[in-house]
Amino acid sequence: MRWPASLVAGSGTFAVIAACALLGPAIAPFPFDEMNIMARFLPPGATHWFGTDEFGRDVLSRLLFGARLSLLMGLGATLFCLLAGVPLGLAAGYYGGRVDEAIMRLIDLVISVPPILMGILILSMTPPNPWKTAIAVGIIYVPIMVRLTRAVTLEIASEEFVLAARARGERAWYILGAEILPNAWPPIIVESALRITFAIMLGAALSFLGLGVHPPASDWGLMIAEARPFIAEAPWVAIAPGVVLCITVIAVNLIGDGLREILDPRLKRGRG
Amino acid sequence: MLLYTFKRLAYIAVILAVMSVLIFWATQVMPGDVAQMIVGQFATDEQIRAVRGRLGLDDPVHVQYLRWAAALLRGDLGVSMMMDRPIGPLIEDAILRSAVLAGVSIVLVAAIGIFLGVYSAVRKGTAADHAVSIGTYFFISVPEFFWAIIVILLFAGYLGWFPATGYAPMSDGFGTWLQHLVLPVATLVSGLVAHVSRLTRSSMIETMQSQYVIAARAKGLPEALVIRRHALRNALVPTITVLAIDVGMLMGGIVVVETVFSYPGLGRLLIFSIEQKDIPMVQAGILTVTAVYAMANLAADLLYAFFNPRIRYGNAVAR
Amino acid sequence: MSVPVLAVSGLSVAYPAALGWLHALEDVSFEVGAGRALGIVGESGSGKSTTALAVLGLLAPEARIERGEALFQGASLFSLPDAERRALRGNRISIVFQDPFGSLNPAIPVGRQIAEPLVLHKGLPEVEAAEEVRRLLAEVGIANPQEIALAYPHQLSGGMKQRALIATALACKPDLLVLDEPTTALDVTIEAQILDLLEQLRRDRGLSMLYITHNLGVVSRICDDVCVLYAGRVVETGSAESLLRRPRHPYTKGLLASLPRVRERKHRLAPIPGRFPDLSAPPPGCIFHPRCHFAIERCASETQVLAAGVRCWRAEELADAAWQAPAETVPDARNTPDTSARALVEVSRLSKTFQLGGLFDGMRLDFSGGFPLKFEAPRVQAVDGVSLSVAPGEVLGLVGESGCGKSTLGRMLIGLIEPSGGSIGIDGGTPRQSARSAQIIFQNPDSSLNPRKTVEAIVGRPLALHGLASGDKLRERVVELLETVRLSSAYLQRYPHQLSGGEKQRVGIARALATSPKFIVCDEVVSALDVSVQAYVLNVLADLRDRLSVAYLFISHDLSVIAHIADRVAVMYRGAIVEEGPVDAVLRPPWHPYTEALLSAIPDLERGAGVQRIRLRGDAVEQGAQGRGCRFQHRCPRKLGAICETETPPVVRAGPGHTIACHIPIEAKAA
Repeated sequence: MRWPASLVAGSGTFAVIAACALLGPAIAPFPFDEMNIMARFLPPGATHWFGTDEFGRDVLSRLLFGARLSLLMGLGATLFCLLAGVPLGLAAGYYGGRVDEAIMRLIDLVISVPPILMGILILSMTPPNPWKTAIAVGIIYVPIMVRLTRAVTLEIASEEFVLAARARGERAWYILGAEILPNAWPPIIVESALRITFAIMLGAALSFLGLGVHPPASDWGLMIAEARPFIAEAPWVAIAPGVVLCITVIAVNLIGDGLREILDPRLKRGRG
Repeated sequence: MLLYTFKRLAYIAVILAVMSVLIFWATQVMPGDVAQMIVGQFATDEQIRAVRGRLGLDDPVHVQYLRWAAALLRGDLGVSMMMDRPIGPLIEDAILRSAVLAGVSIVLVAAIGIFLGVYSAVRKGTAADHAVSIGTYFFISVPEFFWAIIVILLFAGYLGWFPATGYAPMSDGFGTWLQHLVLPVATLVSGLVAHVSRLTRSSMIETMQSQYVIAARAKGLPEALVIRRHALRNALVPTITVLAIDVGMLMGGIVVVETVFSYPGLGRLLIFSIEQKDIPMVQAGILTVTAVYAMANLAADLLYAFFNPRIRYGNAVAR
Repeated sequence: MSVPVLAVSGLSVAYPAALGWLHALEDVSFEVGAGRALGIVGESGSGKSTTALAVLGLLAPEARIERGEALFQGASLFSLPDAERRALRGNRISIVFQDPFGSLNPAIPVGRQIAEPLVLHKGLPEVEAAEEVRRLLAEVGIANPQEIALAYPHQLSGGMKQRALIATALACKPDLLVLDEPTTALDVTIEAQILDLLEQLRRDRGLSMLYITHNLGVVSRICDDVCVLYAGRVVETGSAESLLRRPRHPYTKGLLASLPRVRERKHRLAPIPGRFPDLSAPPPGCIFHPRCHFAIERCASETQVLAAGVRCWRAEELADAAWQAPAETVPDARNTPDTSARALVEVSRLSKTFQLGGLFDGMRLDFSGGFPLKFEAPRVQAVDGVSLSVAPGEVLGLVGESGCGKSTLGRMLIGLIEPSGGSIGIDGGTPRQSARSAQIIFQNPDSSLNPRKTVEAIVGRPLALHGLASGDKLRERVVELLETVRLSSAYLQRYPHQLSGGEKQRVGIARALATSPKFIVCDEVVSALDVSVQAYVLNVLADLRDRLSVAYLFISHDLSVIAHIADRVAVMYRGAIVEEGPVDAVLRPPWHPYTEALLSAIPDLERGAGVQRIRLRGDAVEQGAQGRGCRFQHRCPRKLGAICETETPPVVRAGPGHTIACHIPIEAKAA
């Protein structure tokens, strides 16, 4: 199958960013927390490609280090969202009745508080830690995943091949795993790509508000927050992580669009 | 319709009751000892004990909760620890200022988003459609807090058109008030407009392919009339749901935007009280936000029902 | 001779496909004479809807008209500027689509939608238009036009919607009315009402019609002339009378031979073998030759033109030849079902009540007493006290319209739905215990097979699950099963999307047969298939019945299919069986008024066969609680009076094994 252009461009860009995050400390020109009072607010140049911050730390090195935390929060949150949301959605959709009712009422609770505020509520309890941020963001997006999986499951569960499986006496785990799930994946994967972008942005926003990462460690959101007071004299310190963040989000969005093009049967179906 | 509203209100009450328990419990496990914070770092054990006794902090958690909830039901939100003032009026002032921000924003989001979505759907495949698509793609990918900083840098720093931060009451003059509103609103609106316009576009395109739109064309109606009379209204029904979701995103966005622009609304008050571990304030603040959000969703649902004759008129089959 | 209302000549239309162009229509020509009705007949993919859209100028933007001309009252349609074409649409040429449920805008009252063309083309002021709408609604047989004009579409039943859409199409007194399968989405009794209406409109208004359908019976009732389309080509045209009685093209012959008929029951149908051609790479020569018994060498190389109304090299010599059932389908003598033995399936007073919605949907304000807030979910009685039995090797047909509860009944027998009351015994056990000996085959070929599994995995799974075979034996057995449904082992590694509708349905049958069941529920198994394919699947099912002595509960809305395959018939109406008996007894008087109405609603090939037309009143199948009296009283054309409203009708014995639940005395019914 030919890959759509958006998928090629998106996954290419994302691969570069992910490689930087993985190799971060190895390829960084300076340690991310090395201060140098003599070199404060140096504009981008030959030694410091992206300049330095208020402690004279190299912005590029910090960006590379932050990439790891930012991606971890985005991908970790989405992973959590999948692990929690897909089984709940499958159960709600397949069993229906009381199980469905219970799961959906639980979901109503989570969505009764707007996203960032839910994050604040969860994270304000204990000291910041990127893993916790990831899980908090994951929890916030679980309802969307549950609803999607449930809707897809409902649709597939009424298909005749599922009824045939029940008629020959298959157990629930086989029906869910072998009959429903393989057909439910496409929309879930497309939604996951979308969730990654939202999770990266929400994670960064929570960090920006001081609820994500503990200084001196820093992700892109916290880097922007720290650079904010000096925005007039040293804009590059804030702009560099911001631009990288946007590029990452656009790359994942492109991947999502490309996947949708390949996987969404509605776009493929010709005329009858 | 009345019964439906009543059902929804009852359900909201249940949700709020459960949330109040969760919020109370969550804030109880917040790090730091409240009594310690009130009396200061160098207080004696005796002083701390006295404060704990006065605030009832030694009672079992459920007793504390019931006391707090009972006060809530009487309309008493408690007293802010840091400001040592009743929370009610504090929140009231903040919420009014936030409401201005949110209200202006959501109206703009709806108007611009729907217009762009319909415009590009109708001109599907043209250069204008592609331009809107690329534009919205970009705006949907920029987080608010970064957008805020860029906007401040550009319009407040280099161009100096608007004040970078702060708030001016209406009494300072309409112009001043408006000036302080422009940048926060622009920041809040950008991403959401993109969101609304993208979803409106796809809903509109889907509607344009529906059988009743083809049937309308078969009547010989000119395309403009087909769009206006048959496609638009049905395409906008799902947009109402999108707007309800966006109200939630907007309320989150407000927290960020108020923090960046030092705008004295509910969001900044909340962040401030979390930083200061002002527990009663955090509890009251989050519960208030939840209540407001629930009401916004109810409004959206009622609007949805109003636009959907299936719900409005029931199923009485005329035979 | 006057100018025809519509003359299409040499029309070719193509759609872009994955590889090149898909030629949906190729050199299509036909004429609709003034005041005449032309039927365009074809199976799915024949291009009949494309023809309608091309005439109206509503083709999708990506479609391309490659050649051809369409003259409307002598004036070329395709060369008209857009605005002038639009001025014709809904005015002098109008159309009624297949799907009445989607063709009305859900947000606008029906009356205003009907008025649109009047305001637009005739410039009528709103008030006058509204008055005209009420007159039109009355003309299309709506009893309360005032009320219906103000209603929203979702408040109307399917039949009412289709009447409203016909009124819209008639509003500007068109010269040509195009009907694209207008009754296909409707129940058979409603279809009969709409066909009556169309016949009457033709008489009253002298309408010219272009009637598009797959149903030859409908053509026979409505049309003067017929044009048979196959794969985008006209294969035969002529007057309806002669074409249906003496078809000349092999395809038309095949189509007629595939059709099960109520009054002329045959052992086996004669289907058309093979698959529909790929229109992006059509075979050379005659497009039908790969499926034609009569094809000779010449057919594969030279394309015949339409000569004297038929496109076939051998039309002359084949004039009297009949389409033959393939030799292999001629059956051995059938094992007659053993009705004296213990029943295989024994169902007694079976009921099912569905609860609609969750807790909150059931919340009601009720001030009649007690706490005013009540939680009572609305309920629907889908099946209400049904008793029946099936003997080993017997086929029991279950006929009824949509929503009558027949599928729910079938699914309860297989254990897919838990009954609310009554008992089921299958082969001496409950449905759960009999998962191996009782199986089900479904309606929709596109949904009955898991798209992610190969044919081998699909057919092999029941064997593996019940430990009936493994390893090499498993594959051997799968091949065997495929052969039983006449599929070769080449199909083992294929995925469902690589199969045609009929092939998918046969894989579904093979899967059901895997556990060697004694009883199979066939739930509308041929309803989604074209007639030629339907005949093939029916033959396969009949073979299995004869060779393996499998018993079926054969559920269908189509009485002719049931009459073809079943030994006994049960007629179901709103959750209960109103008549039951041997096929021959049920198909002739005495009968239940509902059975009589169903029979007379079938559009028949033999025109004016002297069947008295019985029509049901109203068209809404009501849901909800069953009131007192006979459940059929609201629509019964032979209602006696108060007794039908107050007393449940007795089940009366009308002959050997033949029962009818009705107040009308048997003697009166026989008359």
